[in-house]
Amino acid sequence: MDRYLDELIGRSLPEGGFASYEGGEYRPAASAWAALALRFHHARGDLVEKARSRLVEDQQRDGRVSVSSSHPSAYWPTAVAVLAWQGGALAHREAQERAVRFLLETSGLHWKNRSSEYIGHDTSIRGWPWVEGTHSWVEPTALAVMALAVVGRRDHERVREGLHMLQDRQLPSGGWNYGNTVTFGQELLPMVDATGMALTALAERTPRETVERSLQYLRRETRRLRTPLSLGWGLLGLKAWNEEPPESMDWIRETLEKQQTAGPFETSLLSLLLLTSALANGLIKALKGTESIARQGADS
Amino acid sequence: MSGDRGMTRRGFVLSLLSGSVLALSGASFLRKYTEGGMRAPAFIARAGDYEGEIASLIIAGLRELGINEKEIAGRKVLLKPNLVEPRRDCAHINTHPLVVRGALEAFLHMGADQVAVAEGAGHSRDSMLVLEESGLATVLQSDGIPFVDLNYDPVYTTENLGNRTKSKTFVLPRLLQRFDILVSMPKLKTHHWTGVTLSMKNLFGLMPGEFYGWPKNVLHHQGISRSILDINATVRPHLAIVDGIVGMEGDGPIMGQPRHVGVLVMGRNFPAVDATCARIMGIDPTRIEHLAGASGWLGPIAEKHIIQRGETIAAVQTPFRLIERIPAQRDIHL
Repeated sequence: MDRYLDELIGRSLPEGGFASYEGGEYRPAASAWAALALRFHHARGDLVEKARSRLVEDQQRDGRVSVSSSHPSAYWPTAVAVLAWQGGALAHREAQERAVRFLLETSGLHWKNRSSEYIGHDTSIRGWPWVEGTHSWVEPTALAVMALAVVGRRDHERVREGLHMLQDRQLPSGGWNYGNTVTFGQELLPMVDATGMALTALAERTPRETVERSLQYLRRETRRLRTPLSLGWGLLGLKAWNEEPPESMDWIRETLEKQQTAGPFETSLLSLLLLTSALANGLIKALKGTESIARQGADS
Repeated sequence: MSGDRGMTRRGFVLSLLSGSVLALSGASFLRKYTEGGMRAPAFIARAGDYEGEIASLIIAGLRELGINEKEIAGRKVLLKPNLVEPRRDCAHINTHPLVVRGALEAFLHMGADQVAVAEGAGHSRDSMLVLEESGLATVLQSDGIPFVDLNYDPVYTTENLGNRTKSKTFVLPRLLQRFDILVSMPKLKTHHWTGVTLSMKNLFGLMPGEFYGWPKNVLHHQGISRSILDINATVRPHLAIVDGIVGMEGDGPIMGQPRHVGVLVMGRNFPAVDATCARIMGIDPTRIEHLAGASGWLGPIAEKHIIQRGETIAAVQTPFRLIERIPAQRDIHL
């Protein structure tokens, strides 16, 4: 993994944080994922700290971290920043607490189902949106639930409601997509990345039998998919339920090597794969410190 | 006394006002009827399957539309297919890779300096997977054509020039500023929220997911049809090439069934192209909210105002199955 870590390090910015690609501009979510990947590979702690500090600089007064300071409504990176700040210095922990308060005080738009004939899910259950003023969707809700669980708020009512929302959005045949289950009477199709995120958030919070079909879907799809987002979250989802296909490291390497033909992966995606390769169990366990930290350099 | 003068001051003002209202509504009616004098051509080509000479058909279409080498040579062309979800062996969901290849060959043949393909998939954040599952990744890699994921491209903010929604500005990919010609390459599909999804709706894929979410829910909350109009009025795209070889009927844009039509539809004016496509699908474009909203403003949608080139609509018309219980598809048949 060393050369891929070097590739990631090459995208760090002198003022802290990471760009989406080498020579690109600072991006908060990319910086948070890069910090997580480096942390669990025990590589360049200085860059991890600088990325965390850059995220603090970028944080707005109410605690949110947005895609761009000029577009505060796109605040979905807040949860990822909370994950990146975990285990950081005092200033990072203070920023993390502000972000946690922000998450607890915000939600998507919700309403009583006007017609279940059109939309299958319960639109009244609160979760988190990608962007302020819109409905709650699976991925931002899963990220927020993970962030709040990591900082010890797993029993907060918003977390419980977020978990309920994720359960409600599980497809009847298994798996999750972005967040619509049934429209106009037709069940929609699952997506591996969303399924992995939802299963990560739900690990140890719901009986296995309630998500067994989704786990089966991930087991099947991770065998064949070799794209960083799907494979990364697919494996993280399985690991969160103490399942790790024995070939997973080969799959990760195979996917990383695709950059030779497909071009460089965006920093969040590269980091996600590197992070996945470093974690023996789930992301939440690793960040809560209950995992016997990573595979120290085993694959470097 | 007032009766002696025939009309009071108040009556005079009221009659002036009502006259103005009548004149205005008359003008509005006239404008709607004439679509502001707008006229635009749309080209229909028969294309039986994806194995045919699609590039040649597109070149022929460009010439019919008055687009020659002089207009293309040295320009940078950005192709925007419709890649909404990753599904293998579903030729009716995403723009077929061989239609994209046909377009890029056509533009390179006509002297384009550069051709690239870009999309910001609306449901899936895994653009690489969408590319691979649709078969487009293989085509682009073998042809050495770059793909840009618009969901994560650097952005710029620009004024909303349509003003049909409350959005004052739009966030758009900077890539649009680096290319000269934007080509919308949708699939011929029905849609369960907008009736049809064609070249105008396809521009939703320009909006970066980082700022608009997955799905692009900001646009839904602003009103889908109004957002379509605003994006088109702001971006001002240049050309539409619709993959109507195999379309989708029923519960589009994902869960419908394939429908073979065997056409490519092209044009510079998107409302004219989409209205033509709607008629091919057996759908009345005036019953489609965003097309009715575009009429006489962004382009013509009345059949008499569209200069039909290539095949006639009647020769290729293939009525699509619509679903009565989907409100956007109710009572829209021709």
